[in-house]
Amino acid sequence: MSGELFTLTYGSLVAQLLKDYENVDDVNRQLERMGYNIGMRLIEDFLARANPGRCYDLRDTADKIQQAFKLYLGVSPSIGSWNPGGDEFSIVLETNPMAEFVELPDHCLGLRYSNILAGIIRGACEMVQMEVMVWFIADQLKGDNVTEIRIKFVKRLEDAIPAVAEEAEVQSAVKPPSSTRASPCWSGFRTEDRDSQRPHCSAHRVE
Amino acid sequence: MRTALRNFLSPTKLVLRCGGISLSRGKSEVSGTAFALLFAEMVQYSHNRVQSVADLHQKLSELGQHVGVRMVELLFVRERNYKRETKLLSILLFVKGTLWKSLFGKEADKLDRATDDERTYYLIEKEPLVNRFVSVPRDKSSINCAAFVAGIIEATLNSTGFPAKVTALWHMGTAFMIKFDDTVLVRDRQLEGR
Amino acid sequence: MTIYNLYIFDRDGQMLHYAEWVRKKQSGMSRSQVSPVDLREGYLTYCTNKYRLHLFETPSRIKFVLNTDAVATGIKELLHQIYTQVYVEYVVFNPMCPLSKPIESELFAARLDEVVRQSPAYASRPA
Repeated sequence: MSGELFTLTYGSLVAQLLKDYENVDDVNRQLERMGYNIGMRLIEDFLARANPGRCYDLRDTADKIQQAFKLYLGVSPSIGSWNPGGDEFSIVLETNPMAEFVELPDHCLGLRYSNILAGIIRGACEMVQMEVMVWFIADQLKGDNVTEIRIKFVKRLEDAIPAVAEEAEVQSAVKPPSSTRASPCWSGFRTEDRDSQRPHCSAHRVE
Repeated sequence: MRTALRNFLSPTKLVLRCGGISLSRGKSEVSGTAFALLFAEMVQYSHNRVQSVADLHQKLSELGQHVGVRMVELLFVRERNYKRETKLLSILLFVKGTLWKSLFGKEADKLDRATDDERTYYLIEKEPLVNRFVSVPRDKSSINCAAFVAGIIEATLNSTGFPAKVTALWHMGTAFMIKFDDTVLVRDRQLEGR
Repeated sequence: MTIYNLYIFDRDGQMLHYAEWVRKKQSGMSRSQVSPVDLREGYLTYCTNKYRLHLFETPSRIKFVLNTDAVATGIKELLHQIYTQVYVEYVVFNPMCPLSKPIESELFAARLDEVVRQSPAYASRPA
């Protein structure tokens, strides 16, 4: 599909938000929230389509995000600027398809035009059990050479142990295998990972 | 030297600066999925701010109009031909052909003139629009897509000097009813008279 | 080979959908031999002498539980197909479908039925 239609449609959304909200901070927030909603769904398509397998650490996650940019936006960002702890990195875009042909008027300099991307990344990661903070540290629309998005791992999201379905609701009683060497299939993470300090996605496995 | 198409976020006129260099440097392909999810979220956003279905379609049409105004500029620049269309039929063929191809990858199926009203034309697209904008057809989404596209068409016509109102209908697929202002017909008759 | 029923659970264990093709009275687990057979990439299956249970869990924690007779094969592929061609297409991409509420879309139910019935593992058995 044409990148232009996409870019113009996104531009139309931002323009509408600027009309609907009085201040630019509210627009930034709304863009992030919409991105979060999109990310929650986009991740399913990514998992279904790319079949990427589990992430074992943040570098895996970074690779997959890079893959997703290529798949969905047709661009190949670079990954870099890892901090010493290995829990923070940057995605660097030479071209930003969301903002092609766009120039920010003077009264909009506080606008994070592509903030929807931050929300998308955050929403997608949350669905695979990672809480991340995402923010822009450079923006070509503001005169920088590149557009740079920073991602910081915050924590693993623990799976809530689901309430067992009522017997009456369930036609055939389906119980997890009672073998002692297996934690219940849907508890969500490898037992040895619980104590690990290294940030990584949920690695679902029954040992 | 970069060609810059300046797209101000205010609704005022687009300023074009064209150095004769192709705009499509490294044209990237965005996935249909990305667009579908963005569009769906825009529909949700609009939906939360309106009271009625008619208002929703109006909002979507406005979003489409914002796209249409800029799409026209893009297309005219790419044609390397700033010659504006002056005849009604020419602009309709532009919508049916060039504009439709940029939106849907194909020309529109049919262009009909209303038998009872010379100001009204119908642009017909048999293939469900949803196939382009969303992955699979689902309840109501086809109507929303059509309202958005109607806005694109309307803005295309308005910004090229052919003021009109465009509404989406269900007839042989999706039909866009284009109703031109009287002034357009008057001018066209005068041009033909020459 | 027959497919009995399917459960879809969301990431919090809430049931999003239940569909059945054959109603079977299941014997209790305690009287059956249970053996976890395979778990790789989110897929687990075990077999009792009465039925086989297949679980497919996506990295986003959506769980598909399919019960079949003991000899059904190709279920891993079917579950993946249900995820990609039915759940993602008709739920994820439908903005009117909230992700953590029971699925109400009729289009979804119809497509699910279609995909299951087209599967080689599905065969309607005489009563």
